[in-house]
Amino acid sequence: MEHLNYAASALSMPLLLVMAAFACLLLPLFIRPLRGAQGLMALGAVLVALTFFRLSPQVEIAIFSGALLINPASSYLWAFALGVLTLVLALSISKPPFPEESGSEYYFLLFMSVLGLMVLVAAGDLFTAFIALELLSLPLYALAGIRRTKPGLEAAYKYFMLGALGSAFTVMGIAVLNSLYPALTFTALKAGAPGPLALAGFLLVISGFAFKTALVPFHMWVPDAYEGAPTPVSAFMGAAVKAGGVVVLWRLFSLFDGGPVREIFWWLAVITAVLANLAALGQTGLKRLLAYSSVAHAGNLAVAFFGGRRGFEAVLYYLPVYAMATIGAFSVALALEKDEKGPLIEDLAGLAKTRPWLAAAMAAFMFSLAGVPPLAGFFAKFYAFAGAVSAGYTGLVVIAVIMSAVSAYYYLKVTVVMFMKPPAGDQPSEPLGLIGIVIALMAAGVLLAGVFSRPLLSIAANASHWF
Amino acid sequence: MELITNPLSLLIILPAAAALTLLTVPRENSGVLKGFTLGATLLTLLVAIKLYAGFSPAGTAMQFQLSLPWLPSYGISYFLGIDGISLLLIMLTALLMPISVLASFSYIKDAQRGYYVCLLTLESAMIGVFAALDLFVFYLFWEGMLIPMYFLIGVWGGPKRIYAALKFFIYTMAGSVLMLAGILCVVAANHAATGAWTFSIPALCGGALTPEAQFWLFAAFALAFAVKVPLFPFHTWLPDAHVEAPTAGSVLLAGVLLKMGVYGYLRLAVPLFPRGAAAFAPWLAGLGVIGVIYGSLVAWSQRDMKKMVAYSSVAHLGVIILGVMSFEPAAVAGAVLQMVNHGLSTGALFLLVGILYERRHTRLIDDYGGLAKVMPGFAVVFMIVMLSSIGLPGLNGFVGEALILFGSFRVYPWLASAAVLGVILSAVYMLGMYQAVIFGPLRHTENKILPDLNLREWFYLVPLLIFIVLIGVWPNPFLRRVAPAVGSYINLSQPYPAAPAVLPAVERK
Repeated sequence: MEHLNYAASALSMPLLLVMAAFACLLLPLFIRPLRGAQGLMALGAVLVALTFFRLSPQVEIAIFSGALLINPASSYLWAFALGVLTLVLALSISKPPFPEESGSEYYFLLFMSVLGLMVLVAAGDLFTAFIALELLSLPLYALAGIRRTKPGLEAAYKYFMLGALGSAFTVMGIAVLNSLYPALTFTALKAGAPGPLALAGFLLVISGFAFKTALVPFHMWVPDAYEGAPTPVSAFMGAAVKAGGVVVLWRLFSLFDGGPVREIFWWLAVITAVLANLAALGQTGLKRLLAYSSVAHAGNLAVAFFGGRRGFEAVLYYLPVYAMATIGAFSVALALEKDEKGPLIEDLAGLAKTRPWLAAAMAAFMFSLAGVPPLAGFFAKFYAFAGAVSAGYTGLVVIAVIMSAVSAYYYLKVTVVMFMKPPAGDQPSEPLGLIGIVIALMAAGVLLAGVFSRPLLSIAANASHWF
Repeated sequence: MELITNPLSLLIILPAAAALTLLTVPRENSGVLKGFTLGATLLTLLVAIKLYAGFSPAGTAMQFQLSLPWLPSYGISYFLGIDGISLLLIMLTALLMPISVLASFSYIKDAQRGYYVCLLTLESAMIGVFAALDLFVFYLFWEGMLIPMYFLIGVWGGPKRIYAALKFFIYTMAGSVLMLAGILCVVAANHAATGAWTFSIPALCGGALTPEAQFWLFAAFALAFAVKVPLFPFHTWLPDAHVEAPTAGSVLLAGVLLKMGVYGYLRLAVPLFPRGAAAFAPWLAGLGVIGVIYGSLVAWSQRDMKKMVAYSSVAHLGVIILGVMSFEPAAVAGAVLQMVNHGLSTGALFLLVGILYERRHTRLIDDYGGLAKVMPGFAVVFMIVMLSSIGLPGLNGFVGEALILFGSFRVYPWLASAAVLGVILSAVYMLGMYQAVIFGPLRHTENKILPDLNLREWFYLVPLLIFIVLIGVWPNPFLRRVAPAVGSYINLSQPYPAAPAVLPAVERK
């Protein structure tokens, strides 16, 4: 009974999101004063949804005949998804990234995408996961191009074409697997060593989800999509979409104790770490830089997989820590952007002189992403690599840490421009409002979540047992 | 509560807390910023003096231990403790800090708040490195130190500061990441053997790693420390960083940061992997000696005083590494003492060059000459410091170098002989520089009006001079405190210890 209560209150979160989404879409049509206030409605709805959050009991509740599994892991990730959504809403309200008449669609699509993410991380079988993936992705294609300007549309098209290719892979793979494992639940998939046909199916599914997680060579959409999409949407893609992909990849990864699938993951991790970091070195646009950085961090997450249970615990810690730094950095980009492609790195010149606190916060995000102690990003990397080393994958970790030293260069470039170059040109200097609050929260997060990582880490550790 | 009552922890927290407090002072309020920073560093020095007074010289165990669980699921604890080696280096740090702050008063004009915040956080991290007995805590401070130093060089440095700052950061980080992988390997191996997760350095010493694993792990750690020391051929970041950094930055780089590299060998690389160390020691000692000769030759050819002092550091550190890698009590004790000496004398040299630079905005030897006539006080101080740097008997440099060379001669006769050559070379270029700058006619009219040392400058130079002479004539109190630590280092460095797992360092309450 108690568990049933819990399940009801847990499920009310996505249900509230659905209701809020439709409220944002439809009510302004009939109630004129609500036009332009959809953002506040949305924010209010999410805050209400967050009050339904309960610490999950240590059980797994399967609902809809096992399609959704509500357990501590999914509730952890739901809280994460709602947290990211709140921040993205705050950003969208303070600097609306959409044409005036599109407010309703914008928030509707954003909510649907988050709903997709929530279903994805709780999915009990591959087919639900696929539907959730589509629910997550389709709104994002539209969101990327919501401004209907050339860069936005280009981003949307590119994202959509490659995303559709990824979905095609996934659905093809699911079809193959379905012929072998009629149930398609993750527990059923674990049955024994896969034959060649099953293996092909798994690889197709994995490459589909690798698209979403942005592992090289499935990352081609990332730089254009992040650059062309409105900045709050880019922040959402970086922080949340990756989380969905990673969780499913982990479920697939943990089906195997060895063999070709692990080898493929090994190579994906290595290629991602090497290529993404090298490609990031040459970037001049801040949003593109953050895009490549997001790909590089996906590589670190893949490295963490090899640590097994402990590694997944690290992944669950890594996701919010990475999200804080990347949302913070995108917020700074949003605060400084003059056109939709966002600021170039050199546009940040002299920021330390003109807006010292903003520059300091940005430096904290950069050092956290680079993994320099005592910022949280270092702890995240440390946990991610610690698991893999104790499982014997030292070579993989050596490659990853070397590339992490390479990554320091491009993150430092941003701090060089901010602190060591004289101010160039005029920067937008309007007050930051809600963006400032988001940036301050995120900066406090990356400064403290590392040194005081015990609470977050223990929740992550508890959650990691359920996948 | 123990975070503040334990003097070691207090030494780490005090400057960091001061840095945070400083952020609340308005930026324009330059007087308060300076006064507060100076006060905080002096207070830290006072705590350090209390630490020195409370340190029992003969104790073989780690003293002032503090161990608080931090991340128990990974076996990480906030574990601090010091022996004689760390004690001296902490004292050196605490002494150099107020001096660096005083030396910055007129030199640093923009963004003063950020500058003093960086100095204070740097102090915290430096003391943390020397006090840490947990590998994770050590690495945290070791890497964390990069951020303030990077800004000190990059924001307040000379014309090529950006290049120098990036080079410093990337070199050090590239060296250190492999150490991070190494740390994870050691801990994982220990877990596989004992079933317990721990990052405690004393607990990991004497573990049963295979010789092959020790070889590679030692290599990973040694690389990180070799970059920091810096050993030839990993030294190329040093001249850039030293020359571009503001005076206080150079003083701390030379005085403390380089010592971290040597300290890493003493505390981590050798005790953790004695068999690896045995394989690498002659090569590292050889690199040290190459550094002595190369550094001296390059220093000789410099026209810029700061560059000359920077290269002389490469040479001095080479001698120290020779001592550390000889595993011979006298040489190791000499190396530890020489670390302090080098911090004092090279720190003082950078301060003196900075004093000239502030007056004339040039560091070229050719732009000076005959300064003895206009700056007699400066000339005297410069002479004492320079003589200490070249190792004149009666001053501190002699004691350290002599101990290292005599001690290591028993182990590496050829290398020690070659190192003597470098030491002689150092006398050649230092004396040459001194003569060109201080004696001779006053060739440049601008130099005729140079004011002599002012009260503030005397104030921060005199403590250094006192220690330069004190260690020179009476090194025993320092050597006595170092001896037990050196003994345990040599014990731990035996690749095949006679007694099983010698662990004199642990003594739990």
